[in-house]
Amino acid sequence: MSELHDPFKEAKEKGPILVAEFQGEKIPMILKLKDIREATKDTETYSSDAPRRVPIPSEEDVRTVRQYPLEVDPPVHAEHRKIVEPFFLRPKLPEYEKKLNALIDRLIDEALERETLDVVHDFAIPLQSHALTYLLNVDEKEAELWIGWGIHVFKDGDGKSKGPFMEKYSEQMFLAAEKNPGEDFFSALNQAKFDGRKLTMEEKLGYANIAFAGGRDTIIHTAVNIVDYFAGSPKGLECVREHPQMVKTAAEEFFRVFIPLTHIGRVCPHDTNVHGHEVKAGGRVSLCWSSANRDPEVFKEPNEVKLDRKPNPHVAFGFGPHNCLGAHHARAIMRSLILKLAERVERIEVLRTIELVEHEKEYSRKVGYELLEAKFTAR
Amino acid sequence: MPKVTFITQDKEAVVVDNVEGSLMEIAVDHGIEGIEGDCGGVCSCSTCHVLVAREWMDKVGQPEDIEKDTLEFNPDVTPRSRLCCQIELTKNLDGLVVEVPSTL
Ligand code: FES
Repeated sequence: MSELHDPFKEAKEKGPILVAEFQGEKIPMILKLKDIREATKDTETYSSDAPRRVPIPSEEDVRTVRQYPLEVDPPVHAEHRKIVEPFFLRPKLPEYEKKLNALIDRLIDEALERETLDVVHDFAIPLQSHALTYLLNVDEKEAELWIGWGIHVFKDGDGKSKGPFMEKYSEQMFLAAEKNPGEDFFSALNQAKFDGRKLTMEEKLGYANIAFAGGRDTIIHTAVNIVDYFAGSPKGLECVREHPQMVKTAAEEFFRVFIPLTHIGRVCPHDTNVHGHEVKAGGRVSLCWSSANRDPEVFKEPNEVKLDRKPNPHVAFGFGPHNCLGAHHARAIMRSLILKLAERVERIEVLRTIELVEHEKEYSRKVGYELLEAKFTAR
Repeated sequence: MPKVTFITQDKEAVVVDNVEGSLMEIAVDHGIEGIEGDCGGVCSCSTCHVLVAREWMDKVGQPEDIEKDTLEFNPDVTPRSRLCCQIELTKNLDGLVVEVPSTL
């Protein structure tokens, strides 16, 4: 397989940051792995206490609520995180694994029956939506509605954010769970206590917001990129088939190279010198995970996919106190996907693609596909 | 084949005999609580933190830089800390004793 493109390669050779402009705001992007890890630990200098401004570009016009536990700092962050953590640990349960394997089997069955399929809409979006019902422990029927939210809740194809719709839906789910409590995510949040009191509706919506939006495009793009990779590298598929124990290193390598989330922001509460660039109090900094994951000082041949790469200290799930809550979910899905593809699919042919590229002034980065038409051939 | 003792978070000694290979995988296979091994041993997640018993520190050795940087994920690192996915249990380490740090 040819080398993957790293849009931050030249910038990294020049120095530790790239100053880029987002919606008129100049933001230094921290590019190197070590510097990013340092920054994640220094939450006083690089704060997440910035409702709707942690993502870059900011999400001020697509959602009304602060996302929990993402947009709060330690020490309260830990308390917020504890409230939802049990759900995000569910992927470790055997019953969850069973359901997930059955889901992937079903999707592969359907893919094999069709002449061709769009891996984004016919495979990855249903996969993400159904798997999320297992995570949140809600009725699997809910997935049908979520599928309609597309690749990205806030910026899908038709250009219209589904954000307000998702907030309304979540509110209805909390109200319904109030009347009819169960073991699901919504009921748990209704009952949860923070600082000795119940959560407000706004806070609950903040938790739901990230549960729906956070692990959505990320899971979808990763799954599609994996299918695309195996289409181009049948040898890779064969290799996993022969050595299924390789699935773990393979999944981590895919997380490293295909990380869909280019970067995330932090706010500097005080004037801060970020590797030579002055950020005024209230200004933002970017932690550029995707660049760090290709840092040549850490990874040998950083733009090559090596399914047995080890060590592989990537930051695809972030680092420090805010590391991704959905990592168990993502790992469970991708490991199962890789194994099932190896076990059941002989060949994948890609027939037509529409790439999804993040275009910014200073860089363009391919994150995945809007459409990937393919043909699966059974073993 | 070598044996290893895990001192669990409840201060119990769990002895695992006749094993070889990655200490993290051994711990996970034997259900040692507190060792998760989320990333499968590639030194990315830091959920396989152990404290090497003092008398074994020399033999086990110090972590490489990559491991050291990942270790710092844990707020409770000590000079005895290692990520056990980076320790291969070999004949040389027969009888090794490691502690699982208790979570705060
Ligand atoms: S298992 Fe992830 S760092 Fe050891």
